[in-house]
Parts: sequence; structure tokens; C-alpha cells
Amino acid sequence: MTLEKDDIDPKLLEILVCPLTKSTLRYDRANQELISDDAGLAFPIRDGVPIMLVDEARRLDAQE
Amino acid sequence: MQAAMNENKSLSPFNRSLVKMRRARAAQNMPQAGFLHQEVAARLLERLDDINRSFDTAFALGWDAAEHPLPAEHAFYADLAANRAQAMPGPAVACDEEVLPIAENSLSLLLSNLSLHWVNDLPGTLIQINRALKPDGFFLAAMLGGETLSDLRRALLDAELAICGGVRPRLSPMAEVRDLGGLLQRAGFAMPVADAETIPVSYADPLALMRDLRAMGETNAVHDRQKTMWRRDVLLEACRLYCDRHSNAEGRILAHFQVLFLTGWAPGPNQPRPKQPGSAKARLADALGTKEMQVKGSRRPD
Repeated sequence: MTLEKDDIDPKLLEILVCPLTKSTLRYDRANQELISDDAGLAFPIRDGVPIMLVDEARRLDAQE
Repeated sequence: MQAAMNENKSLSPFNRSLVKMRRARAAQNMPQAGFLHQEVAARLLERLDDINRSFDTAFALGWDAAEHPLPAEHAFYADLAANRAQAMPGPAVACDEEVLPIAENSLSLLLSNLSLHWVNDLPGTLIQINRALKPDGFFLAAMLGGETLSDLRRALLDAELAICGGVRPRLSPMAEVRDLGGLLQRAGFAMPVADAETIPVSYADPLALMRDLRAMGETNAVHDRQKTMWRRDVLLEACRLYCDRHSNAEGRILAHFQVLFLTGWAPGPNQPRPKQPGSAKARLADALGTKEMQVKGSRRPD
């Protein structure tokens, strides 16, 4: 993996939830996103920093 | 639609995307303009020091104080602005204080350094913080209070009133220390305490103070604020009033930041609790060595 330097802290991953629904998140390591299936949002991770802001999240398509 | 929007604004006085933009823009001015945040961070850590406790998982909102890392095994940092979060001294997230992305029962300590005074729904945020804490977890926050820069507010108000014959909403509402204890209690915190400290800062003139506020990203973010610049004559009159009223011997002016400190514990099993009324085993009169007297018109408890 080339992402090691910017990889998200595993303990941080453990305590993060979706800000809107407070449900657990799916970590998409390849695309560097944290996905909330309940809210239909994908939160980007930039340089190892999850951006848990609803207005900066990507809306999921129906098939995702 | 317009009516609905207006209603929404009245419930949410602050424009959060504007707060985010200001914080992001201010990042380049830190740490020079961040002296207040640094000072408050140091005072928060001092208070934390007084608590004889070690913390495993800590989370700090709006920390922004690289030389003051958190004393915890796992310390996480957060800011509303992504570029500020990326500059933190440890693992960080960008998050909105109004919708916290933290799982229930996951933190032993949550700190906030001057990040809660722009929150619209403070009771809602406090409830979310309480839920994020483990039982007996500790919450410690500093926020700017209603007495902050009251001299500057007064000078601007007087100048605008004198020159324009009226005033416009330019100044943001802030919390009072007397409201916060009740707010903490309502959010479910045990042993809530709110107190205030005043930090005096001296400036060459009022314009230097206003430049600093802008550099800190702490200018007005109220939805219905007056969006144009101050009129030049109003600004000059306000500066004159301020200097007249608050200059010191060296010709510098003093400004006062009121910082409110909030502390509370998530309810836990071994915390001290008040006893049930009527559960006393001894009489107060005996302890005081006096004779119990009945107040006229009152009923003695059985």
C-alpha cells in the first residue's frame, strides 16, 4: 500500500460515526472515503484527515 | 418559501458556512493572531492539571495550539475548517460542532477551545457531547462570553446612533455565565460548573484591535448582519470615543475578552450525589447545638 503515511489512525476510525445518523461508517480505503449508508453520503479523507462535513460529502448514487 | 427561510434564520442566528470560511481564512494568520487561542488553551490545560485523572481517549474541538498537545494516550483534534484540522498536532478530523461525528461512549475527555460561541444550537451540541463521553468522562470548554469587547461594542453603538440616528445588527449574541450552568445540567452533565475569567489585551488603537479580530476569524457571522463595511465617519467616531474612554497612560487602549469556562461530567457510577430529601439521619439543630424552632405558618415535616 502506498497510503501508509496518510492512513487514518485506526483508533480514530473506531470512534467516528455518521454526523447525521450516528450510524457506523464503512471505510473505503481505495477511494479514501468514509461511507454512511444510512445517510447516503461519502465523506472524503484528505491527507489522512476525514472531512466529516455534510456540505463537503459526496452524495451516493442509488447503485452504490 | 421566504417566510420559511426567515423562520429558519431566526432559529439559527449564525451562518455556519460563513464561520467555516472565516476560520479557514484565518488559518494563514495563525499563530500570530492566535494569541488568544494559545492563552486559553494554556488555561484549559492548567484546569485539566487540577483534576487528578489520566485520560485514555481525548477529543479537542477548535484546538489550534500546536505547542499545547493534549495529555492523553489517544488525542484527537478537530476543527470546522478542513485546512485548520490538517494543521493539528495529531490525528484530526474536520467536523461541525452542531453535528458531531463521534460514537456514543467513546471519549474520556472532550475539550473545546473557543469553538462553541458560534454554535446555533448549544443545548443540542452539549447533549451530543455528553453522549460521546464514556460514563464519568470529563467535558471542559472555553467560550467567549457576553462581556467580551463590551467597550468596543458600546463605542460603535454610540457612534452609529449619533451619526446615523439608529443602529443595525452588527454584533453577535453571546452566552452569559448565568445561563450556562443550567444549560449543562439540562444536557445531563453531573456536577456542572460555569465560571468566567477576563483576559485584558492592550492595543495601539481600536483599528488594530479590529484588524486582529478579522485575522482571528472572529468577526460577525450573524445571518441578518449588516453586510456593508462600517461608514468611515462612524468608524472614526467610534475610535475617538474608545480612545477617550479607555486609553491608558502610554496612549494604548485596553480591550477585554471574557472567557467562560464550562465543566461537567458524564454521569457515572461512583460520583457524589445529593441525598434524597428527608433521608437525613441526624437533626441539623443537634449538630449546631441549638434548639429547633418552627417558623410561623410552616408545617413541620413528619
